[in-house]
Amino acid sequence: MAERLAPPTRRRRPAAAPDRGAVSAADWRRPGVRITLSVTHVLLLVVLVVAGLGPMLLLAKFAVTPTQDILSSPMAVFPNGVRWENLGQAWNEVQVSRYFLNTVWLALGSWASQMVVATSGGYVLSVLRPRYGKVVEGMVLATMFIPAVVLLVPLYLTILDPPLLGRSLINSFWSVWLPAGASAFNVLLVRRFFDNLPREVFEAARVDGAGPYRLFWSVVLPMSKPILGVVSVFAVIASWKDFLWPLLVLKDPAIQPLSVRLPAIAGSTDLGVFLAALAIATLIPLALFLLFQRTFLSSAGLGGAVKG
Amino acid sequence: MTTVSTRPAPPAARAAVVRRRARRTPATWWRGGGAHTLVFLLPVLVIFGLFSWWPIVRSLVMSFQKTNLVTPAQWVGLANFEYVLHDPLLAVAVKNTLWFALLALVIGYPVPLLAAVLMSEVRRLKGLYSALAYLPVVVPPVVAVLLWKVFYDASPTGVFNTVLGWVGLGPFPWLQDQSTAMPSLVLAATWAGAGGTVIIYLAALLSVPPELYDAAEVDGAGIWRKVWHVTLPQLRGVLFITLILQVIGTAQVFLEPYLFTGGGPANSTVTVLLLIYRYAFENSLGGNYGAATALSLMLAVVLALFSALYFRLTRSWSA
Amino acid sequence: MKSARRATALTVAGALALTLTACTSSGDDGATDADADGRITLRVVSLLPGSEQAAIDAFDAQVAEFEEANPDIDVVPEEYEWKATTFAAQLAGGTLPDVFEIPFTDAKTLIANGQLADMDAQLRTLPYADRFNPAILDAGTGEDGKVYAIPAKNVYGVGLHYRRDLFEKAGLDPDQPPTTWDEVRAAAKKIADANPGVAGYMQMSQNNTGGWQLTVNSYARGGRVQEVDGDGRATSTLDDPATVEALQWLHDMRWEDDSLGSNYLLDWGTINEAFAAGQVAMFTSGSDVYTSMVQTNGLDPEVYGLAALPLEGDDAGVLTGGTLAAVPAGASEEIKDAAIRWIDFFYTGKLVDEDRAVADAKTLTANDQPVGTPVLPMFDQAQYEQNQEWIKDYINVPLDQMTSYTDSMFDLPLVGEPSVKTQEVYALLDPVVQAVLTDEGADIPALLETANTQAQALLDQE
Repeated sequence: MAERLAPPTRRRRPAAAPDRGAVSAADWRRPGVRITLSVTHVLLLVVLVVAGLGPMLLLAKFAVTPTQDILSSPMAVFPNGVRWENLGQAWNEVQVSRYFLNTVWLALGSWASQMVVATSGGYVLSVLRPRYGKVVEGMVLATMFIPAVVLLVPLYLTILDPPLLGRSLINSFWSVWLPAGASAFNVLLVRRFFDNLPREVFEAARVDGAGPYRLFWSVVLPMSKPILGVVSVFAVIASWKDFLWPLLVLKDPAIQPLSVRLPAIAGSTDLGVFLAALAIATLIPLALFLLFQRTFLSSAGLGGAVKG
Repeated sequence: MTTVSTRPAPPAARAAVVRRRARRTPATWWRGGGAHTLVFLLPVLVIFGLFSWWPIVRSLVMSFQKTNLVTPAQWVGLANFEYVLHDPLLAVAVKNTLWFALLALVIGYPVPLLAAVLMSEVRRLKGLYSALAYLPVVVPPVVAVLLWKVFYDASPTGVFNTVLGWVGLGPFPWLQDQSTAMPSLVLAATWAGAGGTVIIYLAALLSVPPELYDAAEVDGAGIWRKVWHVTLPQLRGVLFITLILQVIGTAQVFLEPYLFTGGGPANSTVTVLLLIYRYAFENSLGGNYGAATALSLMLAVVLALFSALYFRLTRSWSA
Repeated sequence: MKSARRATALTVAGALALTLTACTSSGDDGATDADADGRITLRVVSLLPGSEQAAIDAFDAQVAEFEEANPDIDVVPEEYEWKATTFAAQLAGGTLPDVFEIPFTDAKTLIANGQLADMDAQLRTLPYADRFNPAILDAGTGEDGKVYAIPAKNVYGVGLHYRRDLFEKAGLDPDQPPTTWDEVRAAAKKIADANPGVAGYMQMSQNNTGGWQLTVNSYARGGRVQEVDGDGRATSTLDDPATVEALQWLHDMRWEDDSLGSNYLLDWGTINEAFAAGQVAMFTSGSDVYTSMVQTNGLDPEVYGLAALPLEGDDAGVLTGGTLAAVPAGASEEIKDAAIRWIDFFYTGKLVDEDRAVADAKTLTANDQPVGTPVLPMFDQAQYEQNQEWIKDYINVPLDQMTSYTDSMFDLPLVGEPSVKTQEVYALLDPVVQAVLTDEGADIPALLETANTQAQALLDQE
């Protein structure tokens, strides 16, 4: 997996080699194999449609179904008509739009904080290489072995009373943004990528009189777009999925993301309206996915294994 | 910007002491761009220092303390660890977490692999297959849980019970029964996560060298033997990594039990992380932070072993 | 080159800059309580999360009235729901409003921990300070005899809430609600049989409410869950035969009658929602919960009925509890002074002052909010009846559907909640209730015995 993160030279197989799996062209020509495989594939497609698309179609249907119908005959097709008001109520009264915006803000800030820390840290460790670099790297690396759960309570208390700041960061986006930056994984990922950049380019830039800042901004970063893309996707997905931490530190409903707000109102909102809210909350990432399908899938192929 | 670059004076001075032994002076360090290096290092030092290193140290300290955030903390020795180890819920939580991990392994591990191997042979509409498989991953996890909670309605008119009723099954109690609650959580978690794993396997399958299949064919291998002797061995590394990641992930499962069942019915879905959360945040008269950090540390020791294994593997891979 | 370099340095110093901005953007809400015009900002509890728009409008109208009368105070409403399982994090996090609500059961410990502000002097400024029911005032009084938490809106006795429409569908007379637990069981069975998918009766089981409601049921059969002797030593009595009986009754309804529906993990909020949606026909909860079900769950008043809790056996009683308004420890004198004015305005004043009572009722009815939900008197019965007289013309709750409760509310014996480690004991009982609801073979005496041992260990601590 990590191999695929290395600079582009070895990423794709030579175009000459045919894209093939365990089943050969000769296998395909045998009728038994072809029929079995085709049937299996159709079945697989049916399963994928039912499992992947089914729940979402149901959600879409529930979003405009009266509550009583959802409760008493969920699979019937609108026995008592469609209730479009669900959507309006979800948008206006549940204010999905606002919580969605909060979600986006959280993702953007976490992304920025991770980018700054990962690129600058990777730059120091890989390019500038101070003598104490090994120590820093060891300390960063060590945090990878500490599961997030250990940090839960002490980090919470740190946010309540952060050193130097003198005020609690609770109920502020910073309480999510700043800790997000402390991702050892990102730092090491970027560092490893920088390691593989051609040193000659750096030397040439230095000879041309580029200082460390210019080298970073005008040489290293532009050469690192692939890895920056990967870190970005990880950052956004992680922030999107985060639940426990924002639940703890964002108590003010006005700044909560969807992931915290939706469970909070689950018990007190009309089921039809609530499902409409869930549907709206799903619609936006779904649209993004359909638009940028290729990017998503290739990053997922890269990322999932490494990050989980 | 000058203020920023001159800001971290004390570490610079400390570094200088080290340098002098190597016959270098602060002046050479300065001229060599040492200060600029520190500027670049600042984000790492500040962010990791405040939000990673310090909390880790603090959790070590806190596990030996009793604190309620009002009165000063007291040292209590191993009392927190004793408290946790004597809590009858600990055994329940550990058992439940292992049960979750095992179920996730049995349900959640082979399914994506099978799907990916099959999908890799698809000739037409491959993109459609991947997109469909990945679709659930796009749903925000909290939304997925809340939606499945509706599906799991245990009345005969619940979504799943209605559908299963068509083929004469059920109604099942799903979340409302001590024996079916945990499998229900795992099922939902698998639905939400399998797509990502499928895509990873698909990517890994692409990197199996075609020559290996060709060679196997020369030896007269059939499809099954090629899958068994070529595909799976080639995926070994990825499979092991996803396995370890799954173990690390399931050991910290929180979202599903918290939102689906709150640990019920009758503690049948209380997991270790939920227990930590309860210690720290669910007592209306003030959290037991000592017990929470003590249990976190115990869990951490176990998980660190897995992390180390994972790290070794990925490292040897990239080397 | 210059600009590139600057930009780079800016990026790199990002983290530091973040920190600095965080510093500067603070200040305004932490230390100082007064804003630019010298007005004091007072954050108060508004409504439950997810409330209906009309309820929010009514609350906003009340805030506007208060601010008009108190131009030096800027009231910031914050939605709030006291839950045993979320309160600690809010308390520790300092995210509670300046005036927040807590149940009677928690006040003593919070006071002893130094987490509530001393409101004694402020309370004394109220003309009716010495007219509170002493037993109720005591709930918020510390060891030092000072009042820290002030009795607020709800003093409830537990009642049996039922849906008249579901009674009718099952051929039951909605004007004759059950008066014994056997009748409750029989009615539940009839309702469940007549309305598939509906729970004839259900009891809360999550977030400590399982223990709370089990205690209600134990009291109603003459049981107790805790005894405190003269020295303040508490003995856990969870294995009381009445508690066993209450659980056995629940067990039989679940496993013999199958009249409890299919969702056994409900808490205070979710059972309200299920009741309002017609999925639960009967449940027990505080007498005042009607207000919340209208404000938050859109309950149709037509279908609502409230009956007295059946009492059986010697020493049976109705569990009573209530809500106190408190201010976090460390609040400034200004905040405390502002807080008492809000407490007077929003919670207590309208109970003793005719003009205020009428004005409040007017605002609420104008926004279709419930007025006249039966609660127990915070002062005395005469005062309560006088108050009902003042607002007579505005009462819009269906009182004639609550007569079974209101006719006897002053006559039934009241029993307070267990006083030591209340919520922790309740938390131990949640899984017991859930076990009975989800395991046909649950050994009730053994489950209670185990819980009792653990509870006693809790009571023996410190």
